[in-house]
Amino acid sequence: MPESPDPRPVPRLLLCPAIGEWLADAARSGYPREVCGLLVGSRSGAATRVERAEAATNLEEERAADRYRLDPRAFLAIDRAARRDGLDVVGVWHTHPDHPAEPSSTDLQAAWPDYTYLIISVAGDETVHLRAWELVDGRFVERPIVSQHAADRAAAGRNESANTHP
Amino acid sequence: MIESIAMSDVTIRIPTPLRAFTGGADEVHVQAGTVKEALDKLGESHDGILQQVTDGDGNLRRFVNVFVHDRNITALDGLNTPVPEGAIISIIPAVAGGASFKQQRLAALRREVPEVTPQEAYELQQQGAVLVDVREPDEVALGRARGAEPIVRGYLELRIEERVLDPSTPVLVMCAGGSRSLFAAEDLRQLGYRDVRSVAGGFDLWKQEGLPVEVPRVLNGEERERYGRHLTIPEVGEKGQVRLLESKVLLVGAGGLGSPAALYLAAAGIGTIGIVDDDVVDRSNLQRQILHADDRVGELKVESAQRTLAALNPAVEVEAFRERLDSGNVERIFAGYDVVVDGTDNFPARYLVNDACVKLGIPNVHGSVFRFEGQVSVFWPGRAENPGPCYRCLYPEPPPAELAPSCADAGVLGVLPGVIGLLQSVETIKVLLEIGDPLVGRLLTYDALPARFTELKLERDPACAYCGEGADFPGYVDYERFCNVAA
Repeated sequence: MPESPDPRPVPRLLLCPAIGEWLADAARSGYPREVCGLLVGSRSGAATRVERAEAATNLEEERAADRYRLDPRAFLAIDRAARRDGLDVVGVWHTHPDHPAEPSSTDLQAAWPDYTYLIISVAGDETVHLRAWELVDGRFVERPIVSQHAADRAAAGRNESANTHP
Repeated sequence: MIESIAMSDVTIRIPTPLRAFTGGADEVHVQAGTVKEALDKLGESHDGILQQVTDGDGNLRRFVNVFVHDRNITALDGLNTPVPEGAIISIIPAVAGGASFKQQRLAALRREVPEVTPQEAYELQQQGAVLVDVREPDEVALGRARGAEPIVRGYLELRIEERVLDPSTPVLVMCAGGSRSLFAAEDLRQLGYRDVRSVAGGFDLWKQEGLPVEVPRVLNGEERERYGRHLTIPEVGEKGQVRLLESKVLLVGAGGLGSPAALYLAAAGIGTIGIVDDDVVDRSNLQRQILHADDRVGELKVESAQRTLAALNPAVEVEAFRERLDSGNVERIFAGYDVVVDGTDNFPARYLVNDACVKLGIPNVHGSVFRFEGQVSVFWPGRAENPGPCYRCLYPEPPPAELAPSCADAGVLGVLPGVIGLLQSVETIKVLLEIGDPLVGRLLTYDALPARFTELKLERDPACAYCGEGADFPGYVDYERFCNVAA
């Protein structure tokens, strides 16, 4: 399906520490519910740069402790704002309460290529761990996260209308 | 109804995952009247993209949402939603996932159920903790922790009490990797067991760490079917049945007592049945010796027995000893047997069987019959706990011949050796399975005419030349002469 040559190197994820902290906070305050959102930024061959992380409604009500289904209206709004800024939705973030930051079979089933999946494991308000993954040939491959200070405009947690983050 | 809709210029916004089909373009412009037309146009110009958005029937795929401006088309007219001039169609990939519920539950269980390492489990097991293996039978068949009790997960709650009665007994639950055991441990806690721990890493880690492993004999499908009624008895179960299949029982004599004993022991699945008899089938035997048949008169009894038992249970190995038991061959023949069933009809043989069993430490399941009376006991001075007397403790010397006539001389009700031989079979199985209270130190007599069972207590003779305290085995004697002289 992808026209890019295989095997391709798995690019790095450039993440500003402030965004990382904001995500950790989001994971802790959302606990024990799974919370989710999108990563907005830009993608080049070698790296994906995250300019901001946006929260979105988890439509899963009954099984919010272990499932998420991102509200498509939130996606539309975040995507529209990103395009306006010359950016793209480049990935998805979600939390794994009491579970390692590794993709589950549920994650794999619903995964799209060319998105970075940032998983934040959280156990109560203690440990928080971030790992990034990308779908390559039907499998998740880990992407190294490079902590890098982004430009000032990186407004971590700048929330759009769809934000229902607690 | 709608004849034609004017074509509009519309923009389709392509999400990142689908840009591989558009050469990286984030938007595609088409002319269309409806969403469906727009998507079809998109598909015509960009090979493969349509399959990502719609299924084979042309319906929108589950993992995709399509919006016209701010409205999801599912809330409009679906794919038939008309698109006005300048409309923006957004293809929105559904974003979903999450930790699996299983992982969630396991994480929660880990906070509640204490875990031990295989090494800790091994040490606790030595101190009396019960190690329960909840894996499936086909997994256990390939090996298990030594001393582990296999109880398949599905029957855990129903069978645990058969193994662990005291709810304060420490129970260690093991599976292959340490997940199923967490669920199982939680169930046992719910059931009331107070000290339940899960073995982290399970059998895989146990094995990897070089802790003792055993490869148990397990029942195959046919055996499971054949012995099904044994398997449901807690005192037998799979473990007991396997033990029977691995047992060796020697029948001395394929006559009146040996016949019913052989048939039922073969049916019960005793793995190896030895039969010692040098006689041939006589028509007068058939009144009680049901191993044999009318068309086998003149045939060797051991061969007839082999045929009958093979027809009943072909898996049983029958070792035929076509010889007369004597001092010279008795130890060779008895060697390796777990139990000897004495079905002899004369005193010299009975003393020989007794003496050899005492010397070799083999339990001797004794039976004898006379007209309407019979008696059964288990002579077992070599028993580890609560040993009993031997035959010589009772009868240091044989009775005078006129008081002890053989069946041939005195006659016997044909059914009677059936009753006694079966009681011997029952005692044999109890001894093999170490269940119940075998007739050690007790003599059970049956008198058919008044229909009365009587139990006599038998004491050990501390001065017994053969099994008495500190007695050295005095050796075999000339049993024919011993019995004749005594007579």
